[in-house]
Amino acid sequence: MLRYIARKAVGWFLMIAVATNLTYFLANAFLKPASNYTALRPPRTPAQINHSLALYNLNPDKPITDRWWHWISQIVTHFDWGQSPTGGSVNDQVAYRIFVSGQLVLGATILSIIIGVGLGVYTASRQYKAADRVWQGLSVISFNTPSAVASLAVVLVAIALNQALGSTLLPVAGAQSPDVAGFWSVFGSRATHAILPTISLTFISYAGYHLLQRSLLLDHINSDYVRTARAKGLTQKQAIYRHGLRTSIIPVATQVAFAMPALFTGAVITETVFAWHGMGEYFTRTISTNDVHGVVAVAAFGALMTAIGAILADLVVVALDPRIRVS
Amino acid sequence: MAINMPGAGPATEEVRPNGAEAQEPGKTGSDGKRLSPFKLYMRRFARNKAALGGLVLFALLVLFSLFGRYLTHWDHMEADFTALSVAPGVGGHLLGTNGAGNDVYAQLVHGLGRSLIIAVTVSLLTTAIAGLFGTTAAYYGGKAERAMLGLVHFLLILPSFLIIALVGTHYRGDWQVLVVVLTLFGWMLTARVIWSLATSLREREYVMAARFMGVSPIRTIVRHLLPNIGSLLIVTFTLGVASTVQAETALSFIGFGVKQPDVSLGSMLADGQNTLSTAPWLFYLPAALVVLLTVAMALIGDGLRDALDPTSQSGGRA
Repeated sequence: MLRYIARKAVGWFLMIAVATNLTYFLANAFLKPASNYTALRPPRTPAQINHSLALYNLNPDKPITDRWWHWISQIVTHFDWGQSPTGGSVNDQVAYRIFVSGQLVLGATILSIIIGVGLGVYTASRQYKAADRVWQGLSVISFNTPSAVASLAVVLVAIALNQALGSTLLPVAGAQSPDVAGFWSVFGSRATHAILPTISLTFISYAGYHLLQRSLLLDHINSDYVRTARAKGLTQKQAIYRHGLRTSIIPVATQVAFAMPALFTGAVITETVFAWHGMGEYFTRTISTNDVHGVVAVAAFGALMTAIGAILADLVVVALDPRIRVS
Repeated sequence: MAINMPGAGPATEEVRPNGAEAQEPGKTGSDGKRLSPFKLYMRRFARNKAALGGLVLFALLVLFSLFGRYLTHWDHMEADFTALSVAPGVGGHLLGTNGAGNDVYAQLVHGLGRSLIIAVTVSLLTTAIAGLFGTTAAYYGGKAERAMLGLVHFLLILPSFLIIALVGTHYRGDWQVLVVVLTLFGWMLTARVIWSLATSLREREYVMAARFMGVSPIRTIVRHLLPNIGSLLIVTFTLGVASTVQAETALSFIGFGVKQPDVSLGSMLADGQNTLSTAPWLFYLPAALVVLLTVAMALIGDGLRDALDPTSQSGGRA
């Protein structure tokens, strides 16, 4: 088992390495870090700009291969992902933002899996009844709502609620209040700030799991082994939960792995709307400020998330499917 | 629609516009007679009321984007400085104006058209590439297949959203560039699904026969493999339109997609969110159109899947 995981991890690591290096060259080709200096007063000469950029290994006059070698050796030896064109450390930014993003994306992922799979089972066992149709309609709408619309709709509802109550029950911007101190009040502030973005992220991502789980379970609900289980005296509910669900949840687990990057891009918009300084916001900022090293770090993070998701999905599949033997 | 079925009579050729056909499901084909596949599909599709509603909705949206501009004398680029962000109905602006004085109605018509063009082109291209790539990989098998699948897996792990944003920003939000990059990074997952279906097709007798008779690989792929996954391709295309609209909206929303002076529904949403409390119509209208468009496509795709899938029971028996 461990060998299986190790082999998978090595394969993914190689893919991440290639993808990250490719992004480095692409980012260098498309982004112009010098534009951060052209608007400064007094105006700088190109030589001065290049001198400043050379401090951060971004000098466009230096051959790209030299810059690449410096960049990659810094990562390998010190795990230093470089600096932004104006000198901020990428490592510092990312370290702080991973934590902010993590609490948002992780919470929403877990919630949407629970809600989606739960609804899938509930509606599949009531196929074509009123409850099934109502939930189905709701999920089709939420599945097709762009995340920008969903997030802003949540903001509108929250603002209306706050105004009706006359106090700020649910804050709509930021990851925490600026003036709180102490572990528990920070924790409470963070939790209340996370409620709305988590709702909007869950709203756009649960429906995929619901629709998938429903159709998969319907494929299995009439199969021989579920009927056998019924014949042996289990109730319909027991038969579905113990036998039908177990096999039909496997493709859902695979889906989660592929949904991780999609959820990540969905979080870009959620973070923009709710003014969270997470990886998604960093992603848009690095591109608009021509921050080559920041862009590459974001790409590496995204690839890592995909890999972790894929490996976790493999483990779940192995645990659930008795037909798969890995060792 | 090329469905490989012997005895499909000339009836398949008289392809009428979908709307006209769908309105009168009872009159297509009399009882006891053999139905042509196309009529059968139409019948099953028309039985699904939600899908029919989606089709009507989609047709209305297309008509609106094509002919909506004749209902106003404003142009989407023209700014009316006497009416800055006025409410709907004020000063001869049907749906009001935005902060720069652009007529919202004219922008909506243009933005919907832009989003539709991008979505339909990208979806057509990705479906075509995915279909060809997937079936080719399945037909050749062996080393070529492994190499092609490896490429797909590698492209899947590339941070496509980031690369699209990079390239999109570089070319200042030109919509043609957006079409190219969205196509380049949009076909992989579909290709993988199509490949897994086509691997079972390559073992079929008619493909074997074609191979042994010396029919060229390309001809076999185009004439025998592709038509047999035709239903999947049609559904993929429909659902692709909805997902491309979403991708385009997302990109334009965070500023990497369509940019001024061009407008799309996504860029309108992005502008509208800043004035949510003072000028809410700037957000509600494009938001409503985006949701209507994607839901319509999803309903059509769902109906088509039921109509084209021979094992589906949800449409009743036909």
